[in-house]
Amino acid sequence: MADGPYDPLGPWRDLVAQWEKGINSLANTTMASDQFSGSVNSAMNLTLRMQQKMTEVMATYLTTLNLPSKADITAVGDRLASIEARLDRIATLAERVVLAMPDTDVRTVAMPPRTKQPTAPAEPIPPESP
Amino acid sequence: MNRAPSPLAERIGVEIERAIQRRIKGVEYIASPAPPMGATPKDSVHTEGTLNLYHYRPVASEIYRVPVLIVMATSNRGYILDLAPQQSFVAFLLERGYDVYMIDWSAPRSDERTLTMEDYTQRFLLDCVRRVRERSGEDEVTMLGYCMGGVLATIYAATMPEAPLKNLVCFTTPIDFSKMELFAKWADERFFDVDRLVDTVGNVPSDMLLASFDALRPASRVAGQTRLWEGMWNDEFVTSYRMFERWSSDMLPLAGEYFRATVKDLIWKNGLMTGDMFVGGRRVDLANITVPLLHVLAEHDHIVTHAAAKPLVDRVSSTDKAEVTIKGGHVSVVAGANAQKRLWPKLDAWLGARST
Repeated sequence: MADGPYDPLGPWRDLVAQWEKGINSLANTTMASDQFSGSVNSAMNLTLRMQQKMTEVMATYLTTLNLPSKADITAVGDRLASIEARLDRIATLAERVVLAMPDTDVRTVAMPPRTKQPTAPAEPIPPESP
Repeated sequence: MNRAPSPLAERIGVEIERAIQRRIKGVEYIASPAPPMGATPKDSVHTEGTLNLYHYRPVASEIYRVPVLIVMATSNRGYILDLAPQQSFVAFLLERGYDVYMIDWSAPRSDERTLTMEDYTQRFLLDCVRRVRERSGEDEVTMLGYCMGGVLATIYAATMPEAPLKNLVCFTTPIDFSKMELFAKWADERFFDVDRLVDTVGNVPSDMLLASFDALRPASRVAGQTRLWEGMWNDEFVTSYRMFERWSSDMLPLAGEYFRATVKDLIWKNGLMTGDMFVGGRRVDLANITVPLLHVLAEHDHIVTHAAAKPLVDRVSSTDKAEVTIKGGHVSVVAGANAQKRLWPKLDAWLGARST
């Protein structure tokens, strides 16, 4: 964004760019190690185990209180989704029936003719200029 | 007698003006909504859970015979290819006379955690190709995939050589997953329990995916915000920043079984390279691809590295095939000013000659 030879924010920009490059490079080196991968995945496995346990405990409490759990609500949602999908399949079948009828055009938008020709014949793509 | 101000005084004047503008526009930035995106007129052709098939309304007086079906990456929204009126790849294609369709994804519902790689490649893509053929009245379709959308398109073409494809265009499509080194390391089979993850969470949350992508360049988000402050006086820069920032943060969850297959077949087995991958009972053999192929790679791609994308062209059997490496990163290669100047005209020249 420099407008001329003197750019008072130039050194600041360079500093930010160097900082970004340095941090990214350092982080990438660190994250590429087995130790990093091992510890991050161990932490994730621990979290998942806790999440699983918590879900089970909550489900027990909610059952005792005669309240639906997240899984129950999700199951209802899945059921609705399944009905929706079935309706979609019926619509698809109906569409095919309509298509099979003579003189049917399913296009809802007036389409221009498919007659366009390329301005130039097929040529190899030139490489990027340096 | 009037004397012209010195360049230094002029420059100081400009910086003072910018400093004032930064404060004024900084307040506007916080108070205003993000710019609208994905506004090119389109019709919804089909929806099935996570799948949306759109048809963009043509604007040219005549169009190429072969329709183009864009397959978006499963983790991101399709509006990156339709940012703003003057920066829309879709609008560019429409103006150049293409009949454009797009497969765009919504967040998968919880019951869609069972969607497999087979569902994505051999059911969704097959179904969408059928609908595009019916709607266009044409037998052949050009498929254009971005990132993982390119992987889906490649698997579709490789496992269904009888598919009515006219051309295959891939943008930054990973093939050799061992060359995406950080992802491969984080998903190391010795440490990463993908079964536990998928069995516990179902669909893999978008927050987790976003954290993984951000971790590839952990300082870049902060550095980006610093640049935003510096460029706050510049409306064009701010609009562009907001569009890209919004898109990159707007990730989608991934269907659990699909994620499991991605990790096991693509990352652990490196199935597209080794050929040791089966989808729907069919081996994913890239040599089965014989249609004209164009693969666009980004020179500075930190997500799909150049080396990870490179093998595609060598491995297909197509006689008419081309690879082009564009300066830019994973996103700037397809969207924004860089793409507009470097990629879009090249793509148009290649595709136009093969769309009749």
